[in-house]
Amino acid sequence: MNISTKVLQLMLEAFNELKSQNQAIEINKYDDNLILFGSGATIDSLTLVSLIVDLESKISEEFSCEISLTDDRAMTREVSPFDTFGSLKIYIEELVSEIK
Amino acid sequence: MENKSYYFKNKIVCITGSTRDVGKNLVEYFIREGAIVIGISRTLDKLSLENYYSIQGDISNAEDMKNAFAEIKNKFGTLHFLINNAGVSHSSQALFLTIEKASSMININFLGAFIVSKEAAKLMMKNKFGRIINIGSICSTVEPIGASIYSATKAAIHSLSNSLAKEFASFNITSNTIALSPFPTDMLNTISQKDIDWYLNEQKIKRLATIDDITNVVEFLCSEKSAFITAQFIQLGGIST
Repeated sequence: MNISTKVLQLMLEAFNELKSQNQAIEINKYDDNLILFGSGATIDSLTLVSLIVDLESKISEEFSCEISLTDDRAMTREVSPFDTFGSLKIYIEELVSEIK
Repeated sequence: MENKSYYFKNKIVCITGSTRDVGKNLVEYFIREGAIVIGISRTLDKLSLENYYSIQGDISNAEDMKNAFAEIKNKFGTLHFLINNAGVSHSSQALFLTIEKASSMININFLGAFIVSKEAAKLMMKNKFGRIINIGSICSTVEPIGASIYSATKAAIHSLSNSLAKEFASFNITSNTIALSPFPTDMLNTISQKDIDWYLNEQKIKRLATIDDITNVVEFLCSEKSAFITAQFIQLGGIST
């Protein structure tokens, strides 16, 4: 399984776990345009933090590497990695590819 | 209260400003209770105790703290308790306080606590457990003459602590503030008896604090029994006004 497919699988796992813990999260379809942060976001900022922490753990386990999704690099990018499902996926793929 | 020795045994504690006064006392307390203590300080720490690890760094420098917490993560894997204790005080009336000294207090007392809390929370969140204890001051409430910025930074710590309590609550991380009343320290030795009496007069219990007064509250706030206690401000000795 390539990195892109694996990252997608981990993200879906993390989202589904969050949904099972919080019935208020209503996401029926995961696509790259799903808004995660800011106006029109499908989850609130506290849930986003939970998601990021879960994702860091999953990635660490799966790829045997440590990544930080919330360092300055993420915060200073022109397009925030946390804007959408797609931008987050691309950012994680980028970080994992650099380390692997 | 849990069996203290058992509860703190091998728990990982990080204390900023660990080389003197309250910080040093807290290091010794946690070591006695069986914890593994990491002290962070700007100056080289000469304290030599089993299970005590010293990291030299400036808490107001984000890069320093990123490296410090990477070291903690590599060596210990997690962090259970953070005591934001580091602070500086420059006593001077506002008109005579230099911007350099004011900035130093803001950076170390407030920004430093934010930077350290942020790094610590990343470790705590992964284990869904953590206790953040912020060392505040009676000054934030009584606002003495000559301590404008110091008092403001301690009030800011209180506000920061409450916001962090909200943001971290779902991770079973609590954040509370203990406001210290005058305690026999090197810093207190530089204050006149008249000024010390003024502080004591502002307190409901009119005596200096002891280290036990402080560790009793720290111990409770670190314990499992304080799991439902967060965003609290505990003023040692009480305030009369």
